[in-house]
Amino acid sequence: MRKKKAQTQQKQTLSSDFVNNLDQLKNCFSYGVNNDFSIRLLQAKYNNKELALCYYASLVNSDKIEQSLISPLLEQEGASIFAIITAESVKKITLLEEVIENITSGKVVLLMQDEKVAFSIDVSNFQHRAVSQSEIESVVRGPKEAFTESIHVNISLIRKQVRNSQLITEVLKVGERSQQDIQLVYNKQIVNQELLDDIRQRINKIKVDNVPNLESLEQYIEERPYSIFPTIFYTERPDNASTYIDRGHVVLLMESSASCLILPVTFWTFFHNPEDRYARVAFGNFSRLIRYIALFFTLMISAIYVALANFHSEMIPPDLLLAITAARERVPFPLILEVIIMEVAFELIREAGIRIPSPLGPTIGIVGALILGQAAVEANIISPIIVIVSALSGLTSFAISDPSFNFTVRISRFIFIIAAGVFGMFSLMSALILWLMYVVSLKSFGVPYLAPLSPTFKSNRDVYFRRALKKERWRPAYLLPKDLQNMNKNK
Amino acid sequence: MAKFCWLVIGLMPILFGCEDMVELEKQSYVVAVGIDKTDQDGTYQFTYQIANPEAGSSLAANNADQAPSEIISIVGTDLMTTSSTANAFVTKQMVMDQTRVLIISEELARTDQFLRVIQSVARSNQIRRGVKLVISKENASQFMNNNDPALEQRPHKYYQYMLSRARETGLIPDADIHRFFQITEGDADLFLGIYATTIEDPKDVSGPEDTIVAGEIPKHGGNSTQFMGAAVFKEGIMIDVLTAEETRIANILDKTMKMDELLASYPDPVAPEYNVAVKYIQKNEPKIEINYDRVANHAAIQVIIPFEAEIIAIPSLINYSQVDSYKERLKKSIESYAEHVTRQFIKKTQEFYRAEPFYWSLYIRKFFKDIPDFEEADWNKQIYPNADITVYYQMKRMHFGKMLDDTHLNEVRD
Repeated sequence: MRKKKAQTQQKQTLSSDFVNNLDQLKNCFSYGVNNDFSIRLLQAKYNNKELALCYYASLVNSDKIEQSLISPLLEQEGASIFAIITAESVKKITLLEEVIENITSGKVVLLMQDEKVAFSIDVSNFQHRAVSQSEIESVVRGPKEAFTESIHVNISLIRKQVRNSQLITEVLKVGERSQQDIQLVYNKQIVNQELLDDIRQRINKIKVDNVPNLESLEQYIEERPYSIFPTIFYTERPDNASTYIDRGHVVLLMESSASCLILPVTFWTFFHNPEDRYARVAFGNFSRLIRYIALFFTLMISAIYVALANFHSEMIPPDLLLAITAARERVPFPLILEVIIMEVAFELIREAGIRIPSPLGPTIGIVGALILGQAAVEANIISPIIVIVSALSGLTSFAISDPSFNFTVRISRFIFIIAAGVFGMFSLMSALILWLMYVVSLKSFGVPYLAPLSPTFKSNRDVYFRRALKKERWRPAYLLPKDLQNMNKNK
Repeated sequence: MAKFCWLVIGLMPILFGCEDMVELEKQSYVVAVGIDKTDQDGTYQFTYQIANPEAGSSLAANNADQAPSEIISIVGTDLMTTSSTANAFVTKQMVMDQTRVLIISEELARTDQFLRVIQSVARSNQIRRGVKLVISKENASQFMNNNDPALEQRPHKYYQYMLSRARETGLIPDADIHRFFQITEGDADLFLGIYATTIEDPKDVSGPEDTIVAGEIPKHGGNSTQFMGAAVFKEGIMIDVLTAEETRIANILDKTMKMDELLASYPDPVAPEYNVAVKYIQKNEPKIEINYDRVANHAAIQVIIPFEAEIIAIPSLINYSQVDSYKERLKKSIESYAEHVTRQFIKKTQEFYRAEPFYWSLYIRKFFKDIPDFEEADWNKQIYPNADITVYYQMKRMHFGKMLDDTHLNEVRD
């Protein structure tokens, strides 16, 4: 019923009756009740006709209206309205629906006596935060600026790094009640056409009233909403966006989101860090090596401890074994429960730390954890070795910088701990193999999750470790880009 | 299907939950096991040394009061069932997967009962193959109770350091259970076990200091336990004891033994009343060449042992480092002395044991078509005792340590 009404409304054109048009608009925007909606009536000097300027006062730049609309209309002589208005963008519109949409997106609509068309003049002035430093994905070496909640600023941040006429910013509409723009940013000469069609199709399939921001858009277009693995890269760094655009990925931007979505992506996208590429080969790879160790520790150390201590005590060197045994003799809980208590405690502190409204929060949280751990040890609730194990596994989890992937790792850790408690090393390895099988089975917009490692594709071979930039010859072939070669085109 | 999979995964921890799981503090860790003979065949006395985890732990309140280990002895038929009987007075389950040494009394080792009891040790999955086999002169229980190290009080550390250091210096052979079964079941060589005792019976030593076995070291102070020499096993029964020097020779001649360097003293060629202390360094393996005459069933074995020597002490103060003729004499003297003692030892094995402890059967096997053929030729009884064996030591390098010149005695005492 509602849909039908919307359709009839959409077709409605403006009539030549000025008063009628104005009444319809007043009706639409609840003029008088809706304090924000303003209508300015005036008489144009050039043709002596009645004019009405309709706009949301909160969305427009009033100085600009005054300078580029009102004063020329009142004072200037000219042949047509285009010769008088000095604003940079003037558009003719005929449908009532268009009038409404233009007003809601911050434009001034000019209605004129005896005219069947209206004019939309762009004077919008949405408020937004200034460009600031990236906080979640901070780097030591590399650009520091991050996206902000304005789509124009964001696109300009990308265009600053990709100076290419083929960089397209395509607009798609989403949402039925509150229409939002989604900007697809891609390089037309590189990106695969089917991929673009797939993305457009998925966005067009969204039939909801409102998709307020990118964060919810991600959940509407991803393949497996229940999976513990992210398949779309959410980043606040414009340099990430431009790097991936150059490789043939597509970037999605929305108004009022201080980040972008990059797709399709693989496991490596989440594991790699932009700084790996900004630092020199040896330095970047060293920090990557550290992160591999961190990944192993954070996923496995608690689980391995459970498996060894409960099932394979012969694998622990005698000194350590006796030390653990001596510590455990005073502890009332089974070892696996002890591990889970500490891991959960760490997660609690972490979650609370995020919610503490001060940048000092996490620090206080971690200090609190240590003090809590110390006290718990002295009260013989947990053994000291558990504090070391869980501190190590908690600390190393911070080396996984991507927030989405960080969740993946933390959830997986609990799976592994429980698996290790079932049959020891045997069930831990089974769980790891199942986990890896699941990772291999995943796809992000048709791209295998572990590509280009498995299945193998041509790529810049930046998988485990990266090579010198001079040797990175290919774009990732799993994206089927229109132009595979990255350099040395004439050779 | 997906729901069924989730059900299976979800139920797995509950249904199978924690099968085989043992909390660490519910186990007692046996560090050393001793086996003694009793009056009755088939019944043995087992001695277990259980580590006390609280000893040396920073958590224990009264650290000093904690004994590092507890030693219990109990009579039974085999290692495992006896350990469960012991639970009548030991609070926790006794596990032997951290066991370092197996101590067998010499009395038991010299009977055919030994092979029977050690079989059960090999069958158990708790005892590792790397457990060291120590033969004690006295009863194993007595040995373990007498053993009272002042420094390494925690028993696993004591055995670990003691055995690895004694092994490095070549005083004892490398003898674990795996090697015991390998050699005994191969039935062609002699197995050397570690010989040890806590009964001190100092001998008056004249000449090089290592022609003695455990217990005979003239010493004062320290732990009474001594690891020195080797127990010789032929076909699973102990037949003799090798002195430390003989053990070293066996270590040098056996390519499967890791042999790096050892300190030994050799007679001084110029001043025979003194010895020269030499660091014997083996960088390359000895060359063992066997020429086998199939018709006569006779073998000629040539052994060339390249080595380096670092002269550590010259108490006679003779200027070996700078007088070339002396240097040459010293080199020849060390070589010939080493050859002499080695030949003597080989002769002893040929005539007295009629088998060799050097694992040389490995190098004769290639002359035979298959194992039955090899067994028929009988390396142990026929070939080796009658083989012509020549041994050459070749000193590749000799150096004189940090200070070339010694104190000039006549200048000091003027």
